[in-house]
Parts: sequence; structure tokens; C-alpha cells
Amino acid sequence: MLAGCSATTIVVDGSYPSPLVRKLPLTIGVYYPEELRNFAYTEIDDNSGKDQYIVQSGTSQLELFNTVLPALFENVVMLDSLENANSENGIDAVFVPEIAEFQLGLPQKTKLKVYEIWMKYNMKLSKANGDYIADWVMTAYGKSPQENLQSVDSGVQGAAVVAMRDLAASLTLGFTTVPEVNDWLKANNYVTE
Amino acid sequence: MYKLMPVLLAVTVLSGCTTTEIDEFRQGTTSLNVGESIVILGRRQNNNYETEGDFVECVANVVGGGKDGITVVPEQEFLDAMFPFFEPRTAPMRTTHLKQLMEIDQAKERLAQYGIEYIVWLDGLTQRSQQAGTISCTIGPGGGGCFGFGTWQDDSNFEAEVWDLDTLESVGSISTDAVGQSYMPALVVPIPLIARVEANACSGLGNQLKQFIAGKD
Repeated sequence: MLAGCSATTIVVDGSYPSPLVRKLPLTIGVYYPEELRNFAYTEIDDNSGKDQYIVQSGTSQLELFNTVLPALFENVVMLDSLENANSENGIDAVFVPEIAEFQLGLPQKTKLKVYEIWMKYNMKLSKANGDYIADWVMTAYGKSPQENLQSVDSGVQGAAVVAMRDLAASLTLGFTTVPEVNDWLKANNYVTE
Repeated sequence: MYKLMPVLLAVTVLSGCTTTEIDEFRQGTTSLNVGESIVILGRRQNNNYETEGDFVECVANVVGGGKDGITVVPEQEFLDAMFPFFEPRTAPMRTTHLKQLMEIDQAKERLAQYGIEYIVWLDGLTQRSQQAGTISCTIGPGGGGCFGFGTWQDDSNFEAEVWDLDTLESVGSISTDAVGQSYMPALVVPIPLIARVEANACSGLGNQLKQFIAGKD
């Protein structure tokens, strides 16, 4: 009886492939904010107003960035805090991904036959001393078709993995095309175009 | 056994009421040499639906099965190996996009490693309509049972477009339309007489695709 009233926790668990791209000749410091590390989204039941599902995706998001960034940059240095960036030798820039929004679309609410997840990130790139280089927004979307006898956990997992892959694809293919990033890369001769 | 024959016959006849229509359009020659392979991918960029992974796998099994089976690279293995170039938002939609992709050395080399000669794009879905009838079930101390009748129609529409990685052009397409009516009479026990619509669409499309790629039609 008590179990029926509590929210269901869904832990997103996915493995992500390493992107097939040429590495940029950069040493990047990466800092994951606490909000990203422990990110959890709570879906509220429209009828009762209570927590219905808790989607924990922090660990999976870190796994995604830990797979993508070493494929995108020559060297990646993990930072415990932003203050450490200046003391680390040879860091060209510091990358900080921040999650800004997370939305979940459940078939029982949207009346569509798909589970959907939409995420919005604020990506920040700065110099090792903290000076601003770029700040841009990225969105990711994933959907997974609703199947017979499928659990909500499985549907949400499917949509989350597709959304994460979408984010990784956009970051990989779009990083050098962010205007401020591109200007900085060209100014420092990291890329020619 | 002989008493069961009419029942088995009725089930076979009723469950088999599916019609499948296959159309082929060829605009280039095709052939596959030893060591060459193909990949079959589902289109997933549409807002309203996405081609089911199970259907893609089913067609791949038909194309890869039998004595004249073709080597088909599994879809997920290909998507992971080519990441991030074939994701829903980044996959080439036209052959002009494929030409741009082939200008990226890493992508071109990886496709060559797999020996992929043709990419087949599958796009479509199965829709249910004309649902009618009701079945009610009751249960009591003396037992239970169902009574009633239900029926529905399934319609599978899929198209396979074949891209040649040598010419970087489309060499043709095959479309299939399978329609079938399913019935569920219930006299104490419900007896599902399901039309195997998607399965028929899969086998029809898969076999035609195999012939098409081998250049046998």
C-alpha cells in the first residue's frame, strides 16, 4: 500500500559510442557542476499532485561527456573545481556543461504513442584564467515508441539514450561552428576554417 | 485428429486474410561481390512516428537469410560505428547529403572497412483502424467465460530506398502495402484470429529487396 504511493525512480543507464571525428589540438579542462553530477528530474502526477517518477540521469550524462570529450579534444583534464584550472599546466580552455531544462513526455499524458525527452544545456567555454570565450545553448531531443507490455522505465530509458546521443552528435559536429568558439579557434590557429 | 481438421482449416483461412502489394522502381543497376555488404536503416526523423527497430531487424533477417542471403551489417552496430553521422538529426536525407558525408575521411574509411556497398533506408509504419465489436468476460464461483466479437484492420506501409555507395546515387526503391483484417470471436474462450500483416510486409519486402540488390529482377 505504501509502495503504491511513492514515486518510481528511473535511473538512466546507457553506453555511448565514441564519435568518429578528428581531434582538435587542444588541452581542455572539464568541470562538471554539482547540479549536473546529481541531476534528477521529478515528474508530478497531474491528479494527485505528488511525485510520480524521478528520472536520475546525472551519472549517465557524465558518462556521455566522458566519452565524447576525449574523442573531440587531444587532451582532457578533469577539474575538481574551476579555481584549479589556472594551476593546471597547459590548459587551453575550460569547458563547463550546465543542464538548464529537462522535460519528459509520457504517452499517458501526451496521448502520443511515444516517450519523449527534451533537454536544454548551457555550455560555457572560458580561458584557464576564467576569461570568457563562449557561452551557448544546446538542446537535445529523444523519443522512443510505446510498445505493448512495455514498462515506463524501459520507455523513458529508450528516449533518454536517444536524447543523449542527440546531444553528443550536436556537440561533436557543432562545437567548431559556434561563432565565438570558431573565432577563438581561428585566432589561436587551432583551426583554419 | 479428423474432427479437428475443420477447426484448423478455419483458423488457417481466417488468420491468413492479408493482402500484400509490392511495387519496385529501379533507376540503376545493382550487384554485390564477395566480401561486400549492405546495411538496412530505419528512418527516425519524423515527428509522428518512427520506423520500428523490430521491423528493420525482421527485414534484415529475411535479406540475410537463406542460401542466397546477403551480408547485412546489424543496424545498431552500424549506427555506433558511424556515430554521430547517422543519428535521427544528422542522418543524410538525400544523396546530396551522402556526397557531403563521403567528403569526411573518417566516415568514408569506416564505410569502406565494413565493405558496405548499399545503404537501404526503411521508412513506414503499421496503423490500426476499423476497430469494432465488444467482448465481455465474467467470472463467478461456478467458473467464467467471455462472449462477443471484435475485429480490426491493420495496414502496413513501408518503403525501402536503396543508395549506391559507389555512385552516391539512389538506384531504386521498393514499397509494400499489406492490409489484413483480424477477428476475435469469443464463445466462452476468446479465439484470436490475427492477420500477420507486418510479418507479411516484412517477408515480402525482404525477399524483393534481396532480389533487387542481387540484380536478379
